[in-house]
Amino acid sequence: MTVPAATLLPLDAISFRLPSYISRGGYDAARRTLLSKKPGEVMEEVKRANLRGRGGAGFPAGSKWAFVPPEDGRPRYLCVNADEGEPGTFKDRAVMTRDPHLLLEGILIASYAVGVHTAFIYIRAEYEAVARRLETAVEEARAAGFLGLNVFGSGFDLDVLVHRGAGSYICGEETALLESIEGKKGWPRLRPPFPAAVGLFRAPTVINNVETIANVPLVFRDGAEAFASRGLPRDGGTRLFGVSGAVRKPGLYELPVGTPLRRIIDEWAGGPAEGQTIKAVCPGGLSAPFLTPDELDVAMDYESLARAGSMLGSAGIIDIGDRTPMIEVLRIVTRFYAHESCGQCTPCRIGTTWISKVVDRMAAGGGVGGDPALIRRLAEGMKGRTLCPMGDAAAFPVLSILAKFEKELLETVSK
Amino acid sequence: MAMAEVNLEIDGQALRVPAGTTVLKAAERLGIVIPRFCFHPAFEPEGSCRMCLVEIEGLPKLDLACSTVAREGMKVRTATPRVLQARRDVLEFLLADHPLDCPICDKAGECFLQEYYGAHGRYPSAFLEVKEKRAKKVPLGKALLLDRERCVLCSRCVRFLRKVTKTGELGIFERGVRSEVGLDDGVEVGNNYSGNLVDICPVGAITDKDFRFKTRAWFLRNGRTVCPRCGRGCAIVVQSVCGYPLPGDLRKVYRIVPAENPAVNGYWICDRGRYAVRDIEEGREERIMVKAGGEAAAMPLTWDGAMKALAADIRGAAAAGRPPRLGVVLTSLLTNEELETARQVFVESLGVTAVHFADPAPGEADGLLLTSDRAPNRRGAEALGFAPRPPDLAALTGAVDVLLVFGPHLLERVPLEEAARAFAGIRRTWLFSARRSPLDGLADVVLPTVLSEEKAGSFTNVDGLRQRFEPALRRPQGCRPEGRILADLAAALGVKAD
Amino acid sequence: MSFVLSSEAKARIDGLVRRYPEKPAALLPVLHVIQREQGRISPEAVEWVAAALGVPALRVREVLSFYSLLRREPAGRYVIQVCRNISCSLAGADDVLARLEARLGVKAGGTTPDGKFTLLAVECLGNCDHAPCLMVNDDDHGPVTPGLVDRLLEELP
Repeated sequence: MTVPAATLLPLDAISFRLPSYISRGGYDAARRTLLSKKPGEVMEEVKRANLRGRGGAGFPAGSKWAFVPPEDGRPRYLCVNADEGEPGTFKDRAVMTRDPHLLLEGILIASYAVGVHTAFIYIRAEYEAVARRLETAVEEARAAGFLGLNVFGSGFDLDVLVHRGAGSYICGEETALLESIEGKKGWPRLRPPFPAAVGLFRAPTVINNVETIANVPLVFRDGAEAFASRGLPRDGGTRLFGVSGAVRKPGLYELPVGTPLRRIIDEWAGGPAEGQTIKAVCPGGLSAPFLTPDELDVAMDYESLARAGSMLGSAGIIDIGDRTPMIEVLRIVTRFYAHESCGQCTPCRIGTTWISKVVDRMAAGGGVGGDPALIRRLAEGMKGRTLCPMGDAAAFPVLSILAKFEKELLETVSK
Repeated sequence: MAMAEVNLEIDGQALRVPAGTTVLKAAERLGIVIPRFCFHPAFEPEGSCRMCLVEIEGLPKLDLACSTVAREGMKVRTATPRVLQARRDVLEFLLADHPLDCPICDKAGECFLQEYYGAHGRYPSAFLEVKEKRAKKVPLGKALLLDRERCVLCSRCVRFLRKVTKTGELGIFERGVRSEVGLDDGVEVGNNYSGNLVDICPVGAITDKDFRFKTRAWFLRNGRTVCPRCGRGCAIVVQSVCGYPLPGDLRKVYRIVPAENPAVNGYWICDRGRYAVRDIEEGREERIMVKAGGEAAAMPLTWDGAMKALAADIRGAAAAGRPPRLGVVLTSLLTNEELETARQVFVESLGVTAVHFADPAPGEADGLLLTSDRAPNRRGAEALGFAPRPPDLAALTGAVDVLLVFGPHLLERVPLEEAARAFAGIRRTWLFSARRSPLDGLADVVLPTVLSEEKAGSFTNVDGLRQRFEPALRRPQGCRPEGRILADLAAALGVKAD
Repeated sequence: MSFVLSSEAKARIDGLVRRYPEKPAALLPVLHVIQREQGRISPEAVEWVAAALGVPALRVREVLSFYSLLRREPAGRYVIQVCRNISCSLAGADDVLARLEARLGVKAGGTTPDGKFTLLAVECLGNCDHAPCLMVNDDDHGPVTPGLVDRLLEELP
């Protein structure tokens, strides 16, 4: 199967080692950029490419970099978010496993643009094998003069540290990630101040997702316009869509931003699993509101999904087949957020657990008629009220399941 | 340069506040108290309890009053249906797992959860699940007990120990719903400020064994005064019960808590001052006593009789020589007003030169509030021209016939044998003390006085700040303030005293 | 009990500490080095790390209790993490877990009496296109079936 849009992760067999990357023109974009462009020009080019964050919020990468205040004597840091804890998401693993130097080249360009001399890749500890591969790549790049002091003779220095998490979903939240790097519990920080002003070690900090940074070399290899033209007017490039759940061919598919969800499922993931029809789809990692089969023509971009009442998130598409009771889906969703709540703020700490207990009781046959309404009320009590976005993440899928599958849930209760 | 100010509107009322003021503090200027658990004015906003959410015009989500800084033109609403719903929801979350033990909880009556439930809750319970079981009697050290079922994880206690005492004995362990406040391994909260944890706990999670199950908060009478236990002069509230539920009109002091005083102690007091409750209640001089078999044994045991005898003694000593054969040992536990009267009577009018002081022995300062000076009014005494130094008893012997000693602290400054020897050589020694001490056995007459908590007056603290106070407690029957004794004495002697 | 680390581990820790702009930031990496060598973070290790990084021991304990992959108790030689999140659950993770529990004779969370296996039911491992998936120590496996579980267990020395 050919994927015309596979510009980020080529489908042909590639090696993760440096010679392979160099043979594919690797580090050329970074060399040209560091030797010929000013940091401000690099930011402008990324803005023109309409590269948006691939982590979930979709914030334009160039603008995010531009938030870092002018030089004030403090160091600046780049943190690449490789925590990838969002259930149904495995794209960053693929990028780092298959082409770690692509990420490093992106880090090099981004660091140059922002004035960063120490970059961190915060990777979840479960990705130990991937982390080792990254460390090997860092060593290769350093030996080749692509990292370290005076990169390409440009006078620019950069060190990259691979920093492992230790088992906590919330550390994918950007301020929890900073706390975690600083050697603390992953308790998100109260904002303001925002990380661009006061971030890692109290210094201005940019936090970008792996896929976002991995796209940066493409912007400079192919040009901002070419990059932008692969996507939508305000959302350049391709996306790595991960498809899992009740489909014939679960996998990672690189397609243009805005590809309709139904096409991804039917044409690329082979359609619903044997003997099943699709009952619900979570389009952007578990915290995205679920869609019903009649909503699958939605284009997979931030705005279209927002209009459809969901979100693109991490673009991890989870298909639920008709054999799976929604109470079971709800049980897994609510258990997950209760397990991962950091415990710092009230609505999330107690809301996630309370909802999970109600759902467990329902799933065990002890439900009562008021349970769906109670769950809805509790989820509303978390939505928009927590210290970090996790309250929303925990509430959205629950609210969508209640809204769209209430009848089925009520049947669970009455049985 | 004038400080920059911003104009904003809260619940339709316009106000101007200094730039940097938070919405919560701006609202307080209008008398609007926004409910909170984690916010405490001594600390940076924490933002974790989510109780103080308010509506800010133009913003889609509710925002924290505790951390949001007022901006020019900002319009804040603190009581819209959305805000009230959010408060109710936070309460419902916090109370879902909360034990229903208000009837036996010491915090009842001053508990934020209770207060807010009354104001913003009042919903039927929807919690059908099994509540989390947690440890209910975790000793934290000294008098503190932690009840984890009552804890709302506001982290005030943790932050107090990190930011104020910088001792860091407590942390929050685990995560999610299993998060719990706990001690570091092998330590306990042993610092001199432990009791503040009870005060700043907004619920009944940290309680004080000293106060536990003793009375109810609503029976307490608050009397604000200045702590007399060191030179700092912290503002304190002495909490006592008088009458019901005690029989008759018995008085019992239950608690000493800090009063807010930004100029001196902020929000805190030390444990030395706090746990002085027993010192107020116990070991008090209760009646006039005269030494058995002594010359004074014939003196009538009434205040009138004692005062007549005292005046007669002083007249005799004054008549016996110039300067009078009278020694006076004052104490920096006396108020400025009392010391002034003493100065007028003894120094100005009678010309006594043998004026000395017997203050509590100095101790270790703790670097925070507790000073090494353990008397509350040493600076006041100095300002009146006294040199608050202990007497040379050997020099007194033979030089005086009558010795007046104020306060029970003389034996902290001179050895007992030396005092006994000196007293034996003096015709009559009068002790004025609120507290019993070994000195009682040496004095010919002991007159029971009152503690500063039972007086009005002023102290001047180590920084030279003069602080007035009113009686925080009713004084015990049969005891008289030194100020009155001195004034009566002046009248009896016919000397001038204001 | 005293705390002894191999010279390799000590060298790794020294290297880590030097690379971080602030010492306490090396906390998680240092804990990983210790756990890899000793199988867990003992109370003695907590004190040692706290002193080495200049952080209160309390903070190390807080961290230790917060992160699910840091262990205060020793685990088996093989730690098997079975994903039970949505994609794996849809693909039969429950059957995989049930087979492992039956074969090992321990429930999720338990360690076999011979100290060989620790079985854990965990949330998403980020390997959803290979659902149901599991990890044996650092190695990913998936899609696994109850039958493959049997083979896998037999192949582990």
